[in-house]
Parts: sequence; structure tokens; C-alpha cells
Amino acid sequence: MSVTDLATREELERPGQAKIIFFPYGKREWFAKGEVSVLEAAQAQGIDLSSLCNGKGTCGKCKVKIEKGLETLGPLTPQELRHITEEEMKANYRLACQIRPPASIVVYVPERSRVGKQRLQTEGLEVPVKTLNPFVKKFFIEMSKPTLHDHKSDEDRLLDTLLKGHCVPANLEFDFDLSLDLATTLRNANWRVTAVTWKDKLIDVEPGNTTDRCFGFAVDIGTTKLAGFLMDLNTGKVVSVAARMNPQIPLGEEVMSRITHQMMKGWAGVEELQKAVVSGINEMIEECCQKANVKTNEIYELCFVGNTAMQLCFLGIYGRHVAFSPYPPVLRRGVNVRASKLGLKSHPRANTYYVPVIGGFVGADSVADLMAVRMLESDEMIMDIDIGTNTEIAVGNKDSVLMDSCASGPAFEGMQIKHGMRAATGSIERISIDPETLEVNYRVIEDKPPVGLCGSALVDVPAELLKSGVIDLKGKFVAEMAEKTNRVRKGPEGWEFVVAWQKETATDTDIVITQGDVRELQKAKAAMRTGSEILMKRMGVTEDDITKLYMAGAFGNYIDPENARTIGMYPEVPLDKVVFVGNTAGTGSRMCLISKEEREYAENLSTKVKYLELAADPDFQTEYLDALYFPHKNLDKYPDTVELLRRLGRIK
Amino acid sequence: MSEKEKIFEQLQQTVIVGDTEGAKKAAQDAIDAGIEPWKAITDGLAAGMKVVGEKYESKEYFLPEVMVASDAMYAGLNLLLPLLKAAEKADREKVVIGVVEGDIHDIGKNIVKTMLTAAGYDVVDVGRDVPTPQFIETATGEKAKVIAMSTMMTPTLMSMKDVEAELEKKGLKGEVKTIIGGGTVTDEWKAKIGSDAYGKDAVEAVDKVKILFEEIKLALDLAKKKREA
Repeated sequence: MSVTDLATREELERPGQAKIIFFPYGKREWFAKGEVSVLEAAQAQGIDLSSLCNGKGTCGKCKVKIEKGLETLGPLTPQELRHITEEEMKANYRLACQIRPPASIVVYVPERSRVGKQRLQTEGLEVPVKTLNPFVKKFFIEMSKPTLHDHKSDEDRLLDTLLKGHCVPANLEFDFDLSLDLATTLRNANWRVTAVTWKDKLIDVEPGNTTDRCFGFAVDIGTTKLAGFLMDLNTGKVVSVAARMNPQIPLGEEVMSRITHQMMKGWAGVEELQKAVVSGINEMIEECCQKANVKTNEIYELCFVGNTAMQLCFLGIYGRHVAFSPYPPVLRRGVNVRASKLGLKSHPRANTYYVPVIGGFVGADSVADLMAVRMLESDEMIMDIDIGTNTEIAVGNKDSVLMDSCASGPAFEGMQIKHGMRAATGSIERISIDPETLEVNYRVIEDKPPVGLCGSALVDVPAELLKSGVIDLKGKFVAEMAEKTNRVRKGPEGWEFVVAWQKETATDTDIVITQGDVRELQKAKAAMRTGSEILMKRMGVTEDDITKLYMAGAFGNYIDPENARTIGMYPEVPLDKVVFVGNTAGTGSRMCLISKEEREYAENLSTKVKYLELAADPDFQTEYLDALYFPHKNLDKYPDTVELLRRLGRIK
Repeated sequence: MSEKEKIFEQLQQTVIVGDTEGAKKAAQDAIDAGIEPWKAITDGLAAGMKVVGEKYESKEYFLPEVMVASDAMYAGLNLLLPLLKAAEKADREKVVIGVVEGDIHDIGKNIVKTMLTAAGYDVVDVGRDVPTPQFIETATGEKAKVIAMSTMMTPTLMSMKDVEAELEKKGLKGEVKTIIGGGTVTDEWKAKIGSDAYGKDAVEAVDKVKILFEEIKLALDLAKKKREA
């Protein structure tokens, strides 16, 4: 049922009242004509619609698309003119707090105006696999007892019955460990057992019929966060989920420092890192099993994705040479190794599969990401950005895909920012500055008095400072602004902007953003922007050719795509082409766990995708220097943003 | 302001605003006006670059501004350097600079190179991902007394250690001084591997290199006195 169908079939006229219909939720309600704003209507119905300024028209976050009834709403208010771009006006966008419908209308709340997606950490696209086909298979068999006339060995009896009754490889191999108490097991089970196979190996013989109990565990090893998914291999569905901070962090904040730990401490260091990450993974396994009432030895296979450094540290491979130019991985192909060898809590003969990597530090998580968004199947040109401790960017389609990795640095994790912090209770996660009054609105995680600024707020900060004229396109504080507001002042380290006054904060100080902080953020976003620019150059395309921009990774879910674009974090692609896909690395890991075909797809993908070593590219330096400007030195690349800044008086 | 004073002002200003064409013109004007090339460099271009360094430190200027200023300075230098008298050329102290083996990030190193050149040093740039022995071979070949090394990553810190070890092995430690810098480099690392100096940024690097050359001169004078005694 389309939007227009709905609007024509239902009752839309009532004296003195207007009906406001919200999509995609489908909720609708009657309100007094011309008296209730769309924002108030949303709040009254508990509909997820973002607002930082609570309806004053200063934050610009409550943008909605008017599907029906735009003509009844009247012209844009001055507040709307400050926030809505020309492109959005053409697409019928308005600020929900500024419109009080005098007649029934249909409103669509776009993803970026919702708060809900903020909490997604482990969730990513649910992509159906082509065939549910795990490597682990269970078969129930009933054997006849040995007799004087039939005195086959237990081994032959088992394998013959299995081969006769089921489709198993003819060369099925018996794992030696099984033979130790095979005889007892078979007799205690009265010759009715479940054979568990993995590929062409028989890995267990379980008494009775346990075919309905077959589980696997998929993991995304992030540099900072681990995500784990317990899956039912019979249905291919997720049974429970867990997440942990990566326990390797104390041994190295980012990938290079972890490899350095291996170098400094030798094999002891390698072992330390390996054990650390496994301890986090085992905790997730236990948590998931407990939640789902599953025993850890019912997990017969585990699948892992992570960047190349995570691959090395997890598998216990010495990675020194990967850390030096030209950064060749040690292993590219998928790796199969006994889970017990790695110390993982699962069935004693469970297999571990590590998905193939691409090149340099672009690893299995990127393979998984591209699998989930099906880039190799697309006719159209796609860009995929996975923002994390490292940012991986891919540009391409079914003909070819080029990929690079940008060391964006830890600025968006809050490091090297005066009042920066990792996202946690008390972090300011979003901020807006009124371009006229320069007053600040912000939202804190868990609504507590603020302690600092986390990554998503640090994307808002330069955008809001730019839009309100506090900083110029070069990123420099504009001294004259100190006369307009006492939030702009000279602090001990130079110019700074007060985000929160001491009396509002949980700390003993004002929370500020300094000139130095802005410089750090410029460098971080310039690295990412250079990553996408060089890829487009080498692929021979421009932003106009990009039909979809996938933002992957948990962080991508939290940021304001418009502000990220305004500061020039990614090319100026229309915002309705930006799709948030969440933790696609997790998606790909799950797909590989439950399907042989997806593993083959992953192996193929890892050879097809070409890796570009960014820092070695001859244009890197010039592009990087141009990308330091907000949004970019070359303003032709950002016509929509320039138009908005011009309207705000920031550009002549 | 006299004609000559105006030219010095131009030499400085064109560097400060990153006006490459203007710097070339100012350099040519200086030559035509009979100003000593080394003076035009020191009191003109280099003085302008010093201001740029200060603005960079105060974060008023950022990387792009420093790079365009650097381009302007080099444009002027290219006209003036060839005109230095042989004696003046020989007087310029030599520094070998490069990004260590295994690392290819060189923007920072290029800024230090610019500031050192502005300060009057003859900088021999060996590039990036420089094999360890090459630092020493070049220093020996060019008779450079200071080796400046840069890296942006942690694993490649080891390469700095390797260079120090090579210097020891060749018996050059103490005679050739080392200064290190870069995103992951610290004072602690300098102490750990026995480098002679650490510069936290391009501006500090210049100050520290100055001190290193003073130490070298002092040591030479002392040795001379001992021989004469």
C-alpha cells in the first residue's frame, strides 16, 4: 500500500481537526487544525523524531519529508531557511517543529532524523544467504547390533550405515580422538547415535538424536569492540548476541601499536595478545550460551572477521613485516584451524574459519562488509565507507572494486581532543549551535551532566562552528566572534569555544573545544576524505557517478550524515543516497558461518577487490592538503554545502 | 621605507602569505638591487618563514598554509641559492633528513626540511622508507654532521634504533649527531635509543639542530686546543 493509496482511502476531513500520518511507522492521529506542530504531534505519539532544541527551531534536527499536503503549509519560516538546503526544499523537506498543519498531511521521518539508530552496536543488515549450507552437518542413524553373522568393526558399522542412509562424502574421515571411547558410546546409546560431520571429517558421535541442537558462533573482531553472534545452524538465525571491548586495548590502542607489542615482546607478546582477545571472545560465547540455554560444546564451528592486524593477533601469527611498507599480509586466504588450538570455548573438535583478507590492513571485516552490501553484484557505482579506528573505503561495482584504508587517527575516538572521550554515559553525543544567537544545544548519553565530547559530537562540532561562523573554511577561529558571544574566548591554549559551562557539567571546568582540537579533527577527516578522493580518481569516477553511499560500522550509525558531509568527511553525494548499514562486518561473518557458498564468494571477492596503498599514491600529499579545508579547498566539489554556507553568510 | 627595505619586506610577506610568483619577483628585485643573496635569504625569505613557523605553532596557520609558504620560499631560494659565493655555500651546515625504513609518511618531514632550510642549513633529503645504511652513507658522503629522522608509526621506531646501532658500529656516534621526531616519537624514546635530540615539532627541531651544531663546534674547538696544547 503506497502513501497515496492510504491518503485517498481513509478519512481525512473532520471539522476543526487535521490528521497527521507518520511514515514509516504508519501511526496517525487527529490534532487541532493549525495549532499543533508536527514535532509536538510526534512526541505526543511517542514517535522517534530527533530534536535537540525542543521545538525552538534552532537545531535543525527534526527534518521531515512532506509526502502529501505540502501546499497547505505555507512558506518556509526564517528558522527553516537557516537549516533546509535548496536540494531539500525541492524534495519537500520541512522542520517538524515549524509547521502546524491546517489540514491533514502525510509525513515521512527520514532515518537521519531518528534517534533510535543510535543504540545499534552489533546490529547490521540482515542479508539472506543464497543457500543455507553450513559445513557442520548432523545425521541421526540407527544401527543394527553386531551379531555372529554380522561382526563388522564398530567403525565400519557406523560409516556404512551413515553412507547408506545419508548424503555424506564417501571419503568421510574418522577423527582419531573419537575412537578412544567409541565402543562404549555406541553401546550406551543402544546403537542410536547422531554423527556430527564437518566437511569430510567425522568430528563427533553423540548418543541419541541431537540433530536439532547444532550451533555456531560468528565474531567481528574490531580493533576497539568485539561483537559475537550465537547462531542456530539448522535455521541460519541468530539466537543471541553479545559485545565486549577488545581486551587487547591495554596492550596497544590501535593496530600499529599492537604489532609493535609483538615486536617489542617477541613470542611472549604474541601470546599475550592472542590470549587477551580470546578471553573476550570466550566471555561473549559464555554469555550467549547462557542467554540461549546452549552448551558451549554444542558450538561446532566459529567464524571470524577482523582487519589484518586483528587476524595476526588472534591467530598468534608474528606480524612485524606487515607493519612495514609495503605492508603485505602474511595470509590472504581463508584460514581453517582447530578452535581448541586457539583456546576458544566450544566443541573440542570445532573448526575456526577466518575469512580471507584483501591487502594491507584492509582485512576480513572489509570482505564481510562488501559481501553484505553485495557490491560485486551492483551494476551501478557504489561507495562504501566503514568508519572505525581505521576507515576503509571501497568504490566500485560488478566490473571492478578498488579499496583503501585510511588511518584517520584517534580524534574521532576522543583522543588528542582536550575534552574528548569514548562514547559512554556522560558523553555529549550530539551538539548544535544556533547560527544567529550562538546558543548551544546538546544531548548527553543517559542524560547525565556532561563529562566530555565523544566521536559523534566531534563530527557535529566543526560543522556547527563553521555554520555559525565561529571558524572559517580554513578551520581558524574568527577573532571577531568573541564580540558576539562570550562562548568564544582566548583560553590557556589559544582560541576556544565553550560547549558547556561549568555549572552544567559534571566536571570542575567548562567543556570547551580548542583551536588545537579543530586542527586534529581537520587532520582526521582529511585522511578519510583523501581516501575517497584518490579512489574515485583511480577509478575514473566523480561523486556524481556514485548512486549509493553505504556508511558501515557502528560509528557510522551514530553520526549526523549532513554534518559529516558539511565538514567534507566524504564527497558531496545527495543525502538520500546515503544508507546506514550498521555492523556489516558482523553480517558477513554470520553469512560465512552458515554457508559454504558464501565462503567461496568471500574467497573470490578477496582476489577481485584491488587494494590501493594510499600513502604511496603520488597525489596523496596534494589531495590531503586540499582536504584539510572545510569542506574542501575546491568548493566546486560541494555546491550544496556552499549554497547553505552562502545563505548563512559564511561565504561571499 | 627605502627601496631595499621594501624589498626585504616583500621577501618576507610573499613567504608569509604563500605568494610564489611574488616571492620570485622579490628575489629577482633583490638581485637587481644589488642586495647580497645570503642577506636576502636570511633577512628576507627565512625571516618570513620564521613568522610562518610561529603562526603554525600557535595553530593560527595550519599545514596548507605552511606548505604554500614553503613553496614560495623555495621559489625565491631557487633564484638566490645559486648566487651564493663558494665560501658562503661551504659555510652552510649540512643536515641529512629522511623518513626511516618501513614508513612512507613524509608531510611532517617536508615541513621540518622547509624550516631547516629557512634557518640557513643545507638540507640533504634522502626521501622516505630510507634503508638504514643510506642515512649514514649519505652523511659521510656529504660530510653532514647531523642526521634528522622522522616516523609517524610505532613499529618503525625500531628503524631509528637501527640507525643508532649502525652509527655505533661505524665508530661515528658522537661525531655525527642525531635528532628524531614524528607523531609517535617521544623524549623517552630518544633517551632509550641514545639519540642526541628530539624535536616535538618543526619549530623546536630547528632550535635543537642549532644546539647540536653548537655542541659539534665546541667539541671541535676543544679537540683543537688539546692538539695545540
